[in-house]
Amino acid sequence: MVIEFYLNNEKKKIDIDASARLLDVLRENFGLTSVKEGCGEGECGACVVLVNGRAMNTCMIPVASIMGKSIVTMEGYKHTDRYKAIETGFMEAGSVQCGFCTPGFVMATESLLNQNPNPTDDEIKEGLSGNLCRCTGYNMIIQGVRLAIEKGAGLW
Amino acid sequence: MKENISKSILRVDSRKKINGEAKYISDWKFDNVLYAKTIRSTVAKAKILSITLPEIPAGYYIVDKNEVPGINRMQTVVSDHPVFAENDVQYIGQPILLVVGPDREIIYSIVAKIEIQYKEQEALFTLEEAEKKSTVFTDYHYRKGEPETVFQQSGQLIEDEFTTGYQEHVYLEPQGIAAEFKEDTLFVYGSMQCPFYVKNALLDTMDLPEDKIRVVQTITGGAFGGKEEFPSLTACHVAIAAHKTRHPIMMIYDRSEDILCSTKRHPSKIRYKVAFDKNNQVLALDVDVLLNAGAYNGLSPAVLQRAIFAAGGVYNIPHINVRGRNFMTNAVPSGAYRGFGAPQTIFGIEMLFYNIAVKLGVDPLEYKMRHLLKKNDPTSTGGQIREEVKLPEIIKKVIEKSDYYNKLKTNKKYQGIGISLFLHGCGFTGKGESVINGKITLEKNKDIVTLKVSSVEMGQGAETALRKIVAQTLKIPIENVIYGEVDTGLVPDSGPTVASRTTMIVGGLLRETAMEMKTRWNETEQFEISKRYEHPKYLHWDDDNFSGDAYPVYSWGANVAEVEIDPVSYEITIKNIEAVYDVGVPIDNRALKGQMQGGIAQGIGWATIEVMESENGKLKQSNLTDYKVPTSMDIPEIHCSFVLNPYEFGPFGAKCAGELPSVGVPPAVAEAVANALNKTINHLPITPEKLMEIDNGN
Amino acid sequence: MVEAFRPQNLIEALYILSENECTIIAGGTDLMVQRARGFALKPDFVFPLLFIEHLSELKQIYNNSNEIHIGACVILTDIMQNEIIPEIFKEMIGKMASPPTRNMATIGGNLCNASPAGDTLPYLYAVNAKAILQNANGVRTVPIEEFITGVKKTCLQKNEILTDIIIPDKKFDVNIYKRLGQRKGMSLTKVSLLGLADISKNRIRDIRIALGSIAPTIVRSSDIERKMINKSLDEIKQISYEISNQYDKLIKPIDDARSTAKYRKKVSLNLIKHFLENL
Ligand SMILES: Cc1cc2nc3c(=O)[nH]c(=O)nc-3n(C[C@H](O)[C@H](O)[C@H](O)COP(=O)(O)OP(=O)(O)OC[C@H]3O[C@@H](n4cnc5c(N)ncnc54)[C@H](O)[C@@H]3O)c2cc1C
Ligand code: FES
Ligand code: FES
Repeated sequence: MVIEFYLNNEKKKIDIDASARLLDVLRENFGLTSVKEGCGEGECGACVVLVNGRAMNTCMIPVASIMGKSIVTMEGYKHTDRYKAIETGFMEAGSVQCGFCTPGFVMATESLLNQNPNPTDDEIKEGLSGNLCRCTGYNMIIQGVRLAIEKGAGLW
Repeated sequence: MKENISKSILRVDSRKKINGEAKYISDWKFDNVLYAKTIRSTVAKAKILSITLPEIPAGYYIVDKNEVPGINRMQTVVSDHPVFAENDVQYIGQPILLVVGPDREIIYSIVAKIEIQYKEQEALFTLEEAEKKSTVFTDYHYRKGEPETVFQQSGQLIEDEFTTGYQEHVYLEPQGIAAEFKEDTLFVYGSMQCPFYVKNALLDTMDLPEDKIRVVQTITGGAFGGKEEFPSLTACHVAIAAHKTRHPIMMIYDRSEDILCSTKRHPSKIRYKVAFDKNNQVLALDVDVLLNAGAYNGLSPAVLQRAIFAAGGVYNIPHINVRGRNFMTNAVPSGAYRGFGAPQTIFGIEMLFYNIAVKLGVDPLEYKMRHLLKKNDPTSTGGQIREEVKLPEIIKKVIEKSDYYNKLKTNKKYQGIGISLFLHGCGFTGKGESVINGKITLEKNKDIVTLKVSSVEMGQGAETALRKIVAQTLKIPIENVIYGEVDTGLVPDSGPTVASRTTMIVGGLLRETAMEMKTRWNETEQFEISKRYEHPKYLHWDDDNFSGDAYPVYSWGANVAEVEIDPVSYEITIKNIEAVYDVGVPIDNRALKGQMQGGIAQGIGWATIEVMESENGKLKQSNLTDYKVPTSMDIPEIHCSFVLNPYEFGPFGAKCAGELPSVGVPPAVAEAVANALNKTINHLPITPEKLMEIDNGN
Repeated sequence: MVEAFRPQNLIEALYILSENECTIIAGGTDLMVQRARGFALKPDFVFPLLFIEHLSELKQIYNNSNEIHIGACVILTDIMQNEIIPEIFKEMIGKMASPPTRNMATIGGNLCNASPAGDTLPYLYAVNAKAILQNANGVRTVPIEEFITGVKKTCLQKNEILTDIIIPDKKFDVNIYKRLGQRKGMSLTKVSLLGLADISKNRIRDIRIALGSIAPTIVRSSDIERKMINKSLDEIKQISYEISNQYDKLIKPIDDARSTAKYRKKVSLNLIKHFLENL
């Protein structure tokens, strides 16, 4: 099936098996390796990207579902001011250890703040509950989000 | 201290990890790469009668035991695991052969058509069965004092038993490895903790000369012990495939394959017999530690050693008799996991003391404090506690910060608070450090210093910590200290990245070397200095009798946990964790807190929600839908603080740290639950299902 | 390469279904996981895929003469954010899966997947929701408890699409939802209870109890509920134990990777009692 969509704000067209996982299409066909496979079953959030601005698990998206939609991965998102705020927040709070979960957390944070620019701690926890981190115990990730909100005041 | 080493700096590797530029092994690209998929045993114990292969298309290969150039055993402590199964299989998931080729879909269709006929044999699954049939791999003993005499004379005895379950590491990056030949040199790249373990395993299996094997660690997405010995096996697989096909080979596990066949924390059973003196002090302890090692012994003897040496916890018990056994069962091999056997025995001893105190009607913490080890006390193996034991200060701090006694009094029914006291032996057990004899190199070129070690960054912050130690010693900016690529062809063997030894042992060597470099700082020519570890002369260890100093020094801690239990559903909510540690001197406060919080989260998981059970050798929880680890909603705010106690041989006074939180938190949680329900808790994990039975039992 | 259809509208989709045996795929959060084969591999589909998630006819939420229509392909997040949806249903949906998964999963998929742990189902059973099914020839309306016929089984014919779910536009005085999973963050339900009631002058006027994950389908008993109507809250408290016992034989849980039958049974009875005692 020929799929047309926007990838990091560029129009793309690809002829591909409609059932291919968006995860693999991004990684293999477009070389976007910030998108990680941690489980392949929707449980870990390492594969999360933004689809029309909302976080989704690419391991469960058949590529035909993204026809006409806009996909943003870290490769595109990292050039934004919002990203800079999250980056600073995560660096200063110590939100990163092994880093395998981190791009997914950044995407989930963007999606959360996009919907709710001023979340409570409980809302942050709920908003990130689709992303597993085995290294940090989450405290410093939540702090990182808090800092990002501070640094990026007005951006969301 | 002049240089404030504990003041936090930004992690050197965080930006590339946040923006997604960091390349893990699955993100690597090789020209003409072939992918490998492992065919595994689907039965727990059998003879392999026949393997029927479909027609294999051109460009695709089968790689099995017949292609192993050297020895078909994975080298580790006990090299008993076949690289590829020979005539029999011993567990579900045991590797038999690889299907290798350029297209994953075609590999998959070949895999689907391979038929293996087995003659199944009677298998052993549980520790109970294994004990009955005495399928003992390793049987260790040690004693201190005269426990037999005391037990004979003692009238009043208490017996107790504790059990713990599996734990799966769930490092977020599943196992991944690649191999290629460049001319006649084999390169292996992958997610791993111990590049030289992998290299040594390849030396056995590939039958290549030392200088024809290079192992390169790639950015590693978490490990926690799960990438200690296991990558040696997968490295052999891809290396043999590369040898046969002369193509680069890549093998990335998906999560369910990873859970199915990678090592796990040993399930355990620990039995205690206790004799008392007339003041109800523990006079003698008899400890029987049983670990389920799975189908092959592998690294398990080393885990068992740490388990039994921790059996007495932080207590000075005059007479102690310890037996530890690893049992063979037809289950996936158990292996290294953060804490390395100590979490099991520390859970046991802490709950034992709690149970005794409750039985005696005395305050558990007070009872524990009556037995604390002090400086110059003998350890349970007859070594010596050489450092000041700051437990009283640690305890004071943790009970103040958590308001322990007040809460103990005012808690309502179904609210509980618990406290655990614990220690962790730093560095390798026994002779380990002298055997490894780690070596490091520092190279100076103009004002740039490169540190060369085989210790890896796997998320724990080794790169930042080691660079910081060198930079602060030399008083140069951290940007001027380069962490050399961890490639066994370029760096000396500073030992495996395990046992919390990286900062203390490797960092210690680096600091020493950097101090020497400082005296030669004005030399203009490029130069390098190498140093080997020397075990302090005053430490003695007899490996045959397990007597002497099992560890050069210990780190210590206390945890308070608060829980609430829902009387309708028995759901456990962890309300608060308060932790105080003595890790010598923190090399970086924030980084260390991150380590502690992460370890505590894993400990909470193991203690409460991480259920993994095997039914006839098959794991019931075989993916992340069924095997649950904590999410952001399951972990409370975790408060950590440190008590300074500089260790003279550690860099800037640092000791070991990373395993301590996993050791300490489970008994604190268990005590809190026991306290909330006024029941005894003798098993981990404590699920609502178990709690319901416990609550209805009495 | 698996064949796939991506129709422009519902009529075309129904036509395709009348000509071909297809696997209908909406959000894909059940199907893509059930059919997953492993790292970097395409999922395993036998029949041609029919993509429907984008069809605007299936993405509407509106009310119409005391009823709320929810299109089968409305995603969970959009239900949570819609003003006309009863709060308790939003609360229940907010506890499903995770935020990213809720951005993909559809309500229709949850019904058609017919899992005993399907979390929209206790509500749909409790309010006597109806499912609208269409094929190329026409429409039929099926009560929810007839739509779901067993574990992973529905009355959907091969040529039918679930197009709408209809719930009454009604709020209850008491709304209690308790959901237990293996952990607090995302996990499948191991036991759940939804209790709804209308109370006036201290007496029960309407009461609904639906239990999830403890039998092949959602457990609800209009018979037992009827016995409670017009009883005072005090009377209910006194008979709460008896009533919960009447549910005993309807609750037929299993042991699985996530919990035990014994626990599910006991806790669901506890939950019923607790609900009745705290009305
Ligand atoms: C990580 C994760 C967590 C989850 N957590 C929960 C949870 O907490 N609670 C819960 O209930 N579920 C949960 N689920 C399951 C799943 O997300 C839900 O069942 C979801 O609502 C399914 O919707 P979908 O659109 O993704 O379904 P799909 O996967 O697209 O389809 C599911 C089934 O329904 C059929 N189908 C879908 N739409 C139609 C239609 N309109 N007409 C006819 N047939 C149709 C499909 O053919 C398929 O058989 C979870 C899943 C994952 C991966
Ligand atoms: S890989 Fe998609 S959620 Fe884990
Ligand atoms: S930093 Fe390792 S999993 Fe989150």
